[in-house]
Amino acid sequence: MSPRERARIVVLLAPATLFLGVFFLGPLVIIAVYSLLTPGLYGGVEWTFYHWNFGRIFGWADGIMEVFQPVYLRILLRSLSFGLLTVLVCLTLCYPVAFWIARLPQRWRMLFLFLITLPFFASLIVRLYAWLLILKPSGPLGMAFTALGMEPPELLYSPAAVILGMVYIFIPFMFLPLFAAVDNLDRALVEASADLGATPFQTFRKIIVPQTLPGIAGGSVIVFIPAVGNFIVPDILGGANGLMIGNLVEQQFLSSRNWPFGSALAMVIMGVVLVVLVTFTSRAAKAGAVR
Amino acid sequence: MRLSLGLFSLLFFAFLYAPLVVIIVYSFNSNPVNMLVWDGFTLDWYKGLFGIGERYLDPNQRVIYLESTPQLIAALKNSLTVAAVTTSFSTVVGTATALAVARSRFRGRGFCGGAMFLPMMMPDIVLGIGLLVFFSTIGMQLSLVTIIIGQCTFLTSYVFIVVQARLAGLDPRLEEASADLGASEWVTFRKVTLPQLAPGILGGGLLAFIISMDDLVITYFISGAGSQTLPIFVFSMVRRGVKPEISAIATLIILASVIVAATGLWLRARGERR
Repeated sequence: MSPRERARIVVLLAPATLFLGVFFLGPLVIIAVYSLLTPGLYGGVEWTFYHWNFGRIFGWADGIMEVFQPVYLRILLRSLSFGLLTVLVCLTLCYPVAFWIARLPQRWRMLFLFLITLPFFASLIVRLYAWLLILKPSGPLGMAFTALGMEPPELLYSPAAVILGMVYIFIPFMFLPLFAAVDNLDRALVEASADLGATPFQTFRKIIVPQTLPGIAGGSVIVFIPAVGNFIVPDILGGANGLMIGNLVEQQFLSSRNWPFGSALAMVIMGVVLVVLVTFTSRAAKAGAVR
Repeated sequence: MRLSLGLFSLLFFAFLYAPLVVIIVYSFNSNPVNMLVWDGFTLDWYKGLFGIGERYLDPNQRVIYLESTPQLIAALKNSLTVAAVTTSFSTVVGTATALAVARSRFRGRGFCGGAMFLPMMMPDIVLGIGLLVFFSTIGMQLSLVTIIIGQCTFLTSYVFIVVQARLAGLDPRLEEASADLGASEWVTFRKVTLPQLAPGILGGGLLAFIISMDDLVITYFISGAGSQTLPIFVFSMVRRGVKPEISAIATLIILASVIVAATGLWLRARGERR
């Protein structure tokens, strides 16, 4: 490599490296450190190690003053299950539509892909506000039930509302990778499978699902990651039963002012995300190596 | 089979668009008592938004006009300022990084490419509180500056990904030919690489602008008292309860973002056809 080329690479990479090194890595290192420190009496921290930040979540109590209660663990598990449910619902909704759009003539395909990405650009808070209106007991959904002579279900401020809201805002994330995979599906294989006497269900399970697996996995990962740490959706649409770990983090920072505990909770979210990402990329690399 | 797929897709698109239609319809509802019961058509909420309507606050009529038009204007101005600065910064830095990673061979190249994805994949709340703790540790007052710095971290990553994808699709032989014909590196970049890359840079910049205008979670943690952006303003209104004015603001936001997004996608489609 010539010195000139080396200089060019340094000049091109320096701004991002410096900026992200300070303002992206810096914050992550600081909360990693904070999650191990003792909370001060009036906010702030004392520089001694404190096990109770993580202990309170996972049950590392000293057995004298501290009593472990699984309430935080329960909220963590709930967040994981909400994330998983959001992924499953998104997948169920997007999969058939991806097949339908993949079979359309080119012009129409472009139009419908555009229509799927468009709501993504209409502000997040606006889209959640829309569901707040719809789910209100006096709102359109409630009125529809009343008109049919039924008792309107209590949807707002429930776990179902949180999952519905997350599905609605994350649908484009699931759809685009899924569509790419469905679009690349080898039709000849599907036809061959049917010709050889496989039932539609067998063809689906043995041919279609394995062939589109990269899209399913990719879409699931990029829906699950923002869903599991979400706090805006449960804040607007969820009640006490819809509280997620993101809400806990927000509370620790903006109302309880227990920054070390909030940092520990954030580290847990980051841990979950890293596990998912590493599993996904290593599996994807392995699958790529096999092919 | 085909028919049921079509029917399902129809419902799917209804699910996507019904909420937006609901907001737009309710924003014209004149019912001042229950904003969810249709009463008649009105533009009052829009007028109230811009402070040009008659401002009567009659408790019996329960007409609550937005008291905070100046705040709304200030929030919009803040959002535009932040978006303009972050878009410029992240477009330049993201493009430079993409050029280095896609066009040069050096050790740690794969690592650089992978690391640039991290700010985008990091959950918003983790980055948001991380930045909050970071700024308070180094003693920086929360202001528009902290919002700009905070947003640039992940916007740079978005621009990088878009521009890098475009670079990967370019034919490197054109650049080689230009070099063989005696053009200097700079001339090759200006006359060969940049014109081909322009749609990617434009697309990345536009994406950064849209995401910056809409960013809620990270901005929420690092905006100070006087530095509310538009999404934060709407969020705090929604938290205080539903009001017809929110529907009016929401309708305007939908309209603006649809116009920007449609222009962007149209430009991209045109670029691809050429």
